[in-house]
Amino acid sequence: MPASTTTDPVTAIALSGIVKDFPLRRGEVVRALDGLDIEIGHGEFVALLGPSGCGKSTVLRLVAGLEQATQGEVAVEGARPSDLIRDHRLGVAFQEHALLPWATARDNVALPFHVAGRPVDHERVTALLALVGLSGFESARPRQLSGGMRQRVAIARALALEPDVLLLDEPFGALDAVTRRRMNLELARIWAEQRITTLLVTHDVDEAVLLADRVVVMTGRPGRVRHVHEIRIPRPRGTEVTRDPEFHAIVDELTALLDEPGPAR
Amino acid sequence: MRATERGLALVGALVVLVLAEVIGRSGIGGVGWPPISEVLVHVSDPSAQRLLGRALGATGAAAGAGFVLGTVVALLVTALGALLPSTAPGLDRLAAVIHAVPLIAVGPLLITIAGRDATPTLVAALAAGFAVFVAATSALAGTNPAQRDLFSVLGAGRLVTLLRLQLPAGVPLIVDGLTLAAPAAVLGAVIGEWFGARRGIGVLLVSSMQNLQVEQLWAAALAAAAVSLAAYVLLVALRGAVTRRFT
Repeated sequence: MPASTTTDPVTAIALSGIVKDFPLRRGEVVRALDGLDIEIGHGEFVALLGPSGCGKSTVLRLVAGLEQATQGEVAVEGARPSDLIRDHRLGVAFQEHALLPWATARDNVALPFHVAGRPVDHERVTALLALVGLSGFESARPRQLSGGMRQRVAIARALALEPDVLLLDEPFGALDAVTRRRMNLELARIWAEQRITTLLVTHDVDEAVLLADRVVVMTGRPGRVRHVHEIRIPRPRGTEVTRDPEFHAIVDELTALLDEPGPAR
Repeated sequence: MRATERGLALVGALVVLVLAEVIGRSGIGGVGWPPISEVLVHVSDPSAQRLLGRALGATGAAAGAGFVLGTVVALLVTALGALLPSTAPGLDRLAAVIHAVPLIAVGPLLITIAGRDATPTLVAALAAGFAVFVAATSALAGTNPAQRDLFSVLGAGRLVTLLRLQLPAGVPLIVDGLTLAAPAAVLGAVIGEWFGARRGIGVLLVSSMQNLQVEQLWAAALAAAAVSLAAYVLLVALRGAVTRRFT
């Protein structure tokens, strides 16, 4: 039973009144987030867009239970992030692929099963590797794979236990532009098949618009929600979307929001 | 390039040998420094070989057993520190304190506690164990932050994190520690024998010194050095293989 939360059952992730301070030396603090509210519905894909240093990764780390909010409440599926972690219901992929270099692609995707102490579902591992387009590379070790392939393994691993929530922190941030665009389209296809509640943190406007149902634009530090934009481009979204004038209009509008200095306070 | 390096190493070794021979022949080093050639002549004698062989066997066995014992205990203590983080600083300090006691002072103590037969092994274990402990502690602490984050989001407990992330990721550094621990174990075994073991290089060193058998003294010292070096070379080869496998 969800403890002491009054969250709407349709809300998968709710951040309310989040303040996050990081201590500097001698009692000084830097305020990364200041009064942030975000709600994400079930099966919704939300992209969090912001200038670098705006605390968008901190938001993801709060949802992932890797940081604690100074004030405010983080609820995932009506519970605290630590409760979901204990039940192995979160999937995550970072900019750094964080694959185990001594394990094969197959073993890396199977890792969440081992961590959760569950028998490895070999069929699911095979299916996930096929889903991310890596059939035939099951026994390759990470250093034998390209950067894009490593991120595909990381995404397959994030999906291994059919998580309730998928958290993606700039998963393609270290890739070149062409590979990145191709991975965006791949992720759009993969996501269309899974429809998992997803929070994507990115500074790439194209990526956010291409993938998300809703784009949340943050202000510079301290981070707050500046603008929320519903993306009504129908799915499936393939290459043709990137040539659509509507797509470009949204990208231009959001890029302009990122560029302007936030309201002074 | 590699051939030149090898050539240089060979030349360097020869220069050292020739220098040692010249010093021995000229007598600058006094009676305690014989020509290397005479040490080799001494070693070619079958009875000297038997004596040296027995001593090497005893020291090798004590050093080997101490190396294994020290490594196992050090790894267990490191694992305890990883599983119960509140004990880690205390264990660190305990290891530092134990290491601060000179092995030469530990020897007589162990003779009275554990007896003369077990002492060489135990001193070797102490010497090797500290090297492994230091390497293993930093190896387990040195995992990549993204991998740590991944394990915590996946809901991994400390034991799973230790077995599936920290230990495999730490293997190359732990093997580095083993390459330091092996010569330390040989040194520890020799020191342990010094205080009255029945046989071993340490015993041979003491008796040669007291009877002024200079060639035998040098032969024993060089034999101990050769064992240390052999162990080191073996572990460096292992390190190469392990690094390829785990990174």
